[in-house]
This record gives sequence, structure tokens and C-alpha cells, in this order.
Amino acid sequence: MSSKRRMPSGNLRAMPIVSFPHLSVTNGNLLSALNNSPLKPDDVGLNELSVLDDPQEWSAFSRLDTHRADCWESNLQIEGMHCAACALTIEQALLSVPGVIQASVGAGSHRARVVWSSAQVQPSGWMAAIQTAGYRAVPANDAFARERRKSESRKALWRLAVAGLCMMQVMMYAYPAYVAAPGDLTAEMEQLLRWASWVLTLPVIFFSCGPFFSSAMRDVLQRRISMDLPVALGMLIAFAVSTAGTFDPQGNFGREVYFDSLTMFVFFLLAGRWLELRLRNRTAGSLEALMNRLPDSVARLSRDGSYERVSVRRLLAGDVIRILPGETFPADGVVQEGETMVDESLLTGESKPVSRGVNGNVIAGSHNLSTVVQVRVERTGEATRFAQIVSLMESASTTKPPLARLADRVAKPFLMGVLLAAGISCAFWWAKDPGHALMVAVAVLVVTCPCALSLATPAAMLAAAGTLARKGVLVRRLEALEMLASVDTVMFDKTGTLTRDAMVLAVTKTRKGASATQALAIAASLAQYSLHPVSKALVSAVGFSTEFSKCRVEGVAEIAGAGVSGRVWCDQNLSGVSEAPMQMRLGSAHFCGVKSAESSDVQAYLSDEHGWLATFEFFEDVRSDARSTVLALQREGISVHLLSGDSLNSAERVASQVGIDKFQGACTPQAKLDFLHDSQRLGHKVAVVGDGLNDGPILAGAHVSFAFGQAVPLAQAQADFVVLGSQLNSVANALLLARRTLRVVRQNLWWAAIYNAVCVPLAVVGWLPAWLAGLGMAISSLVVVLNALRLSNNETSMEKM
Amino acid sequence: MDILYLLIPLSVILVFFILGGLWWAINRGQFDDIEAEGERILKE
Repeated sequence: MSSKRRMPSGNLRAMPIVSFPHLSVTNGNLLSALNNSPLKPDDVGLNELSVLDDPQEWSAFSRLDTHRADCWESNLQIEGMHCAACALTIEQALLSVPGVIQASVGAGSHRARVVWSSAQVQPSGWMAAIQTAGYRAVPANDAFARERRKSESRKALWRLAVAGLCMMQVMMYAYPAYVAAPGDLTAEMEQLLRWASWVLTLPVIFFSCGPFFSSAMRDVLQRRISMDLPVALGMLIAFAVSTAGTFDPQGNFGREVYFDSLTMFVFFLLAGRWLELRLRNRTAGSLEALMNRLPDSVARLSRDGSYERVSVRRLLAGDVIRILPGETFPADGVVQEGETMVDESLLTGESKPVSRGVNGNVIAGSHNLSTVVQVRVERTGEATRFAQIVSLMESASTTKPPLARLADRVAKPFLMGVLLAAGISCAFWWAKDPGHALMVAVAVLVVTCPCALSLATPAAMLAAAGTLARKGVLVRRLEALEMLASVDTVMFDKTGTLTRDAMVLAVTKTRKGASATQALAIAASLAQYSLHPVSKALVSAVGFSTEFSKCRVEGVAEIAGAGVSGRVWCDQNLSGVSEAPMQMRLGSAHFCGVKSAESSDVQAYLSDEHGWLATFEFFEDVRSDARSTVLALQREGISVHLLSGDSLNSAERVASQVGIDKFQGACTPQAKLDFLHDSQRLGHKVAVVGDGLNDGPILAGAHVSFAFGQAVPLAQAQADFVVLGSQLNSVANALLLARRTLRVVRQNLWWAAIYNAVCVPLAVVGWLPAWLAGLGMAISSLVVVLNALRLSNNETSMEKM
Repeated sequence: MDILYLLIPLSVILVFFILGGLWWAINRGQFDDIEAEGERILKE
């Protein structure tokens, strides 16, 4: 069974208070699970809360209040909230607990903030109050990081708003100077306009430009040169020159002011950075949520034979723990008692649940699906496979070779040259006339204001990213577009990428006398009571046929991991099947008491009191556009591979179905990563298309990675591109657009280079007045932006697909 | 045209007032999640 979609999201982790959060994955015992409604405060729930009274536990989601002594501030995620009235109810419930000083619940965010005195009350005290009010609370460990991100994002927006508003107004003041005929503007009026511009430029320089100055400062201290240094230098000198022009028109710097160019430049740069920050925050949020996937507490067998709830952090190798159906295994271990089905699809790529009996290994992060098991812990914390996958992914993403951006490569020596040219030309003219010399230096700096260069790449990338977003592809890192353009190898994962998670009925075999439609109708009438993917495939295969509607079922019972049984009879006399109610079984060969046939495909059997009635075989549902996408990629000269964690047979069948000739089955995450590295060592630029957590390392290690939107948050966070819809051809589209984007970036850089090559010498020899230099700078960046915008209306290339 | 000598300084002051309004809006969290507030009306 594949339950990738049923994984709890990061915020709804299996937590101390939750009794059966993963109702949908418990195959058996549906009724008993329903009776244990998660919203009902029960004794077990209250006992679990005491785990939180451990200071080591509560410090994870609380911090000392800075204003009051001995007070803690805790953040919670509330579940079961519907409206603003709920928020009030919870606040009142919390405040009625002695020791709770402050409580505020956000109706929109479903988050609560509680300030409490550790001398008067323990966390379990007010947690219980929330539960008694009918809600569930989960400690929000990521609250502080979220808060930091929020204030960072607000500050960036505020800088942008200041720059934007001041820019607009400064342009209004600059306008008369551009259009007025000589003599139209009185000297006083001109002076007043400059004064006004200067006042409005102050907040831009001293507040909005802060990040540029501080990072330029850092670069200088570390003896590096980056885009920020000349940017900051340009800003400073332009401001200094303009200020001098405002206050001392007769001085060396002359009468020219550049407040409009300056504020505009700042605004453009800040807008780009703000967009970047927003994208990054979204990524960080989903990553953190996933790191918290493991449960916080677990029932441990104590010496006297009873179970006590302990923090997962306190687990040691050798402990025996009890895992309920629906819970997540907190550590790697060996099953001691019980037999269950576990869902390891996120860690191994195995799309079907696997059976684990006594002495079977279970891994942290996988889900217990069917029955209660006792597990002897073998590895905890950092040693678990889950932690290793997470860290593998983290290291893969940090060791990713920094993309040498064309802009930076060109910009660095160029900027050094410009600084040198400005200095030399200033020195050359200084002896003759200091005023003229400074004017020339300013012209050189202004005309080569690295605006066009620094905008060339991001403007095109942003335009392309916007276009892709409209087509349902989110770009996580802009640089990835550049890399994507040079990709020559694409590796696909199978499950959830080339195929959908769901299965489809492929073949039906029946015993003599019974027709396939009848057998299917009977099977579907049993299957409708089960949530297993095979059952769903049967129900969707039968649709609403008349045979189906004539079948009646009673006494349905589901045995987890085995099958469904029940008494079935049909109104219509079906040949070969008795009209009288008959005990039917649907499920595995063993469950139905028949011999299983050898097949690589998923099979389900149907039997009645006479024995075998029918066999159903299922295929994974290959996406309808998989073949055309593979063809389109191959047409572009890209070699396409299929890597699958499933068996070789199923990998082969899917590969032949979509036209891929290079495939590998039964790959572990490590094997996939090795294959990827081998390919990269041969000099190939590799894009990986995947979805699950098991793809995490390979997604992070690839030059470019795509993840499908239904995937778990982690894969999304790590992938460069996230495909929101179920359209596989978005991958091919993105690749085409990336190639066009790179062409536009090159054009932009060429334009910037030629513009500078022409203008800098003119400025150096003093032929270019400062006002013309400012205009040239503005136009050069405008050209760059307009060229980039061509990427926005690229319907033609998309239609080709 | 003498009125401009009053209007231009006034416009500078006005900009600072608008900035003050924006500061208030940003720090009240009005731009934190632009989509969510629009969708909220559909959910409740």
C-alpha cells in the first residue's frame, strides 16, 4: 500500500496527546479506532501529558520570559479549531488555570502562546485544560524559528516600502529638471526641489541601503570583492556627490544631483532581494516541519511490566517500547511481540506496506499500520536510519558545488577595472582641475553603476520563474534555472513520478462459468469497505455497473494486511455464483485459501465457499503524458534514465511503457546516489525527478531536482523545482524555458558589457557629462529588464510541446 | 506658482505620513500572509 499522501504533515505529528491520528492507515479495527475519538480527552491522553513536565522537554518549545522572573513562554499548535470563537474558548480555558499569566490564540494561524509561571503550574496542567475544552495541543518546536523568519521578512518588506515610496516622490521632484526649458525653473525652485529630494533620499540611504553597506563592509574586512561592494560604493559616492551638489552648488562637485537614479537603483535591488527572501522562507518552513516528524514521546515497558510514557530523547538501546497502530516508530529496533504491517515508503521507496513479524527490523520514521507491537530499541537519535537520511540530505545540499554565476565571473574583474579606471581618470585630471577630475570620476562610477550587470541574471531568472509558476512549476532556487539549461541527463523515479500512487486493475482471471464483470462486482462490493489501495482500485474499476448495484453485503470484516471477508449475495442470478448469501473472501492468496500464482504484479484473490473464484492483477497507473515527456526530452538530446526502489520487473515494465531504455530496479537510496555520482563524474549534468523522502539525498545531490507537489514536504523543500499539478510534461517545458532563459541572460550580459565598453572610455576621457551618465545607466537597466520580460510571453515554445 | 514653495515641503511631510501608515500596517502583520486572509472567508 502506498501511503505517501497519507503521511501526517509536519505540524500534525504523532504527539503525546494524540491517540489515533492516522485513522486512515489503520487497516483493521476501524470501529474500535473510531470509538477512541482523538478529540475525546481520555485517561491515556492525560498521562501522556506528564511527559511534558520534564524541563528538558518543555525547553524545546518554551523559553524564559524576559520580563518576569520564573516565567516561561510556550508556543503550541492547536488542532481541532474551527473559528474565532474557538480561540476565545481556548484562551479562557487557559487563563482559568492558576499560574497561567497570559494566553493568546491566533484564530488564523491556529497557534497559541502561553506565558506561565513554573513555580505555580506545570505544562501538563494547562495542556490538560486545553484538552478538557475539547481541543488538542501540540508543542510547536519550530515557533521561534518562524518568529525570526517573520520579523526578517517584515523588515525586508519595510525597507522595500521605504525605498519604493521615496523613489516615487524623488522622481516627481526630478521630473521638472528634465523637462524644463532653460530659464523655466527659477534657481530657488530648483534648489527647493533638490532639498526635497535630499530629505527623501536620507531614509533610503540610511535605512533601506543598510544591508548593502553592512555586507560591503564585511567583504572589505574579509578582503573579498562582491557585487555589494561596488553597489555600496556607487550609492555612497552618488549620494555624496548629490549632497554636495545640493548644499554647495559652487563647489568642486558641481551642480548635478542623482537622487532619482540612486533611489530607483536601490528600489530595484531591494525588490529582487525581497522576492528571494520570500522564496527562501517558504523552503525553510517546510524543512523544519519535517525534521519534527518523529514522535516526541513513546510508551516504554518499565521493570514492573507496566508502560510509562517517556520522551523519545530518553530512549536507550535495549528499551522495550509499545507502538500502537497509526503511530510512527521513534527509533530503529527489532519486533519482540506481535506482527504488523509497516509503511516504509518514505524511507525505502517501497510503495507497498511490508510485513514485520517477531525479529523483524523496523526503522524510525516508518509507520505502524495494523496492530500493536512491542519493539526492542536498537538505535536511537542520530544513529537511526531516519537521522542518517536527513543528514545525508543536509550534507548533500551543503556540498552542492556553488554555481559559478556568469554574472559574477564577468562582474568581478570588470568591477575591479572600473574602480581602477575611476581612480586613474580622477588622478589624471586632478592636476589640471580638481572639480573636473571629480566629475569625471563620478561619471565613470555612475555610468558603470553595476545595475545592468547585477540585474542581467536575476531579472531574466525572475521572469522565467514567474512564467513557470503560471504553468504550475515552482522554482525554489533561481540559479537552478541556469543549471537546468545545461542538463544532458534526466533520471526519473518511478512511483509517484512516472506513475501515479494509485493502482489500476489490469487483468481479471476467473474460474470457469463465472464472468469477469460478475467477479469484479462481488469483489468491489467487499472492497468498498476497505481503504487499501487495491480495494480502491477495484472500486474505481467497477464504477457503477448494474451488477455492482445488485450485490448485497453483510458481516464485513477486514483482517489487516490479509483481506476482507463478508457474506455476499446478488439479486440477479449470476451464472456460476449461487444466489444465496455466501461467505466470500477477498485478499491475499493465503487469506483466500488458494495457491498463489507467480507474478511480479500486485495480485488480489476472490474466493467463495467452493474455493477460488477470481484473480485480479494490478498495474501501477502510468501517467498519461509520461511517454510524450520522455520523447520530448529525448528529442532535445537528453538521455533519460529510470531509477526505482521497486523490483526490477516492475521497473522494466514501466520503462518499456514510457519508452525509456535505461532503467534500474531495486535501488536503495545509497545505490541511487552512487549511480548519480558515477554519472556526474563522467561529466554529465543530471536532473532528477522524484517525490519521496527516499529521493531526498539524490534530489539534493543532483545538479537540478524536480519534485512532484503531492510529495512529502521534505522533498519539496530540497528540490529546485516543484511541480504542482500532475503534468509530467512540465519537466520538459521547464527545461525548454531554462534554455531560453540562459540565452536571454547571455544577451543581457553582452548588452551590459557592450554598453560599458562604449560608455566607460567616453566617461574616462571626460566626454560624458554626469547627467548623461545617469540617463545611460537607467536606460541600460531598462533594456535588461525589458529583454528579460520577453520570457514572460513564451506561449510559442510551450505550445510546441 | 509661489504656492509650490508651500506644496513641495508639504509633499515631503506627506510622504513621511504615508510611510508611518505603511509601518503600522506592516508591523500589524497585514502583509505577512496575503493569500490566507482572502481564503479564510471561504473556509468559515
